[in-house]
Amino acid sequence: MIMRVMAAELLKIRRKMIWFLVVLGPLGVVGLQAVNFGLRYDYLTKQYANDLWGGLINNVTMMMVPTLFMGLAILASMTAGIEHQTNAWKQTLALPITRTQVFTGKFLLSVLLLFCSSTLLIVGTVGLGAALGFDLGDVPYKHLLELIYYPYLAIMPFIALQVWLSVLMHNQAIPLTVGIVGTVFSMFSNRFDDWMPYKWPYLDNAADNPLFSVAAGVVTGIVVLAAGTLNFVRKDVK
Amino acid sequence: MNNWILQTEGLTKKLGGKAVVNDLNLKMEKGDIYGFLGPNGAGKTTTIRMLLGLAKPTQGRIRIFGKDMQKERMAVLRKVGSLVEYPSYYGHLNAIENLEAVRRLLGVPKSRIDEVLSVVRLTKDAKRPVKGYSLGMKQRLGIATALLGQPELLVLDEPTNGLDPAGILEIRELIKSLPREQGVTILISSHLLSEIEQMATRVGIITKGRMIFQDSIDTLRERAQSKIRIGVSDPEAAWKQLLAGGYQADWDRRKLTIDRAPNETVAAMIASLVKHNFSVYRVEEEGASLEDIFLDLTGGEGSL
Repeated sequence: MIMRVMAAELLKIRRKMIWFLVVLGPLGVVGLQAVNFGLRYDYLTKQYANDLWGGLINNVTMMMVPTLFMGLAILASMTAGIEHQTNAWKQTLALPITRTQVFTGKFLLSVLLLFCSSTLLIVGTVGLGAALGFDLGDVPYKHLLELIYYPYLAIMPFIALQVWLSVLMHNQAIPLTVGIVGTVFSMFSNRFDDWMPYKWPYLDNAADNPLFSVAAGVVTGIVVLAAGTLNFVRKDVK
Repeated sequence: MNNWILQTEGLTKKLGGKAVVNDLNLKMEKGDIYGFLGPNGAGKTTTIRMLLGLAKPTQGRIRIFGKDMQKERMAVLRKVGSLVEYPSYYGHLNAIENLEAVRRLLGVPKSRIDEVLSVVRLTKDAKRPVKGYSLGMKQRLGIATALLGQPELLVLDEPTNGLDPAGILEIRELIKSLPREQGVTILISSHLLSEIEQMATRVGIITKGRMIFQDSIDTLRERAQSKIRIGVSDPEAAWKQLLAGGYQADWDRRKLTIDRAPNETVAAMIASLVKHNFSVYRVEEEGASLEDIFLDLTGGEGSL
């Protein structure tokens, strides 16, 4: 059943610039790093001489997390907006599907779209490295995949939160504000201890084990998703 | 067991402490076109939202196809098609894609899309984005969406709202043809009695959240029996004279009326008035329309 919901959701986002945004995010990050490395090629290659790929990947992921925060807020808002626009909720919810499925569908859609973005970023990073003349035989794939998919997993609570807010509120200004303020806030989150969820996607914790951040993110993500679902199930539809 | 296809028992919805729908007992039989009538704000849409499971009743029960709506919502909704108020559509998609989005959720065969498009005669415009449609076309697409799952019960909330006369006629003809061609039972709400009158076989009238009339349209029409109005000098005295003569007559301080009676009786009444030196100016038949009855039932506050 959830496959049917996803099939319908994927159809609904056609011609909505959503796929464009999915590509634009990683493209922007890679593009900015291309400028960064292009302008300071000699300086940076000297600095990272021992580990050219590692230097590039670190620079990419540094920019990736705020972009991810921003992107998930926009995607959640746009995908919920499709239903808000003509109040299609009443049509969708009067169909023989449960509200849990509808809400989970919206969540999984954002998860899927961001997964595509993250994967594109991996491809883009490798491509940029190759263009900069780094040796393609030396790509530290494990490190690269970890540094990109781990933040993606650790950011789950915020995907759930933004989907919840966007679905709940007709006025998308509020969820978008929360998303933007959250993005800025996350950049200063290293001042907080490890309990701060905004810090998790940066994979920075006292134990120095990124998996702790990932685990905290995934578990909290499930909790927020469950809370949002409960709230959505009980709500009367206008 | 009973043969009601839809039945509510003491259905109540309170919003902010105020009962918007109050103790509603709605009953529909298979094959009915049930006209659900009431002035704006009477609770029609709220009732329909509860019937579709979009809102939860504060009290009361809903049974559709003999199944409890709260417990077997999925099974019920599978056989219900709906169009609530203004149509819901995805403007950036064309008609086929709109129907496909719903079809994927319903899991019905792809051929249904062409079938419902031809039922609402949108086949020609099916490839255009829906945001360029006229309101009438959007309403028709809404009805097509409602028909997609081959429902046994179709719930249409104000399907002619905001349409021009030609659009209203079109939708009306479409709705009238549906029970014949698709074998569905229809619940249709409106605040326009003239609309319902031309489609419905059964009527429920709701005002201030309460059902004040529920019966066949013919019973409602019977109430619309015409009266005979008599224009006469000194009507009050004439009224007393008629009563003294053993006739039925009504005097409401403005006009003197008598119920429909055989010709001879009417003649005899006039003769007696003339005999007692009343000047009879007019004897005219006054056909009470359904609208008068509707206004009368809803206490005159209904917008028609």
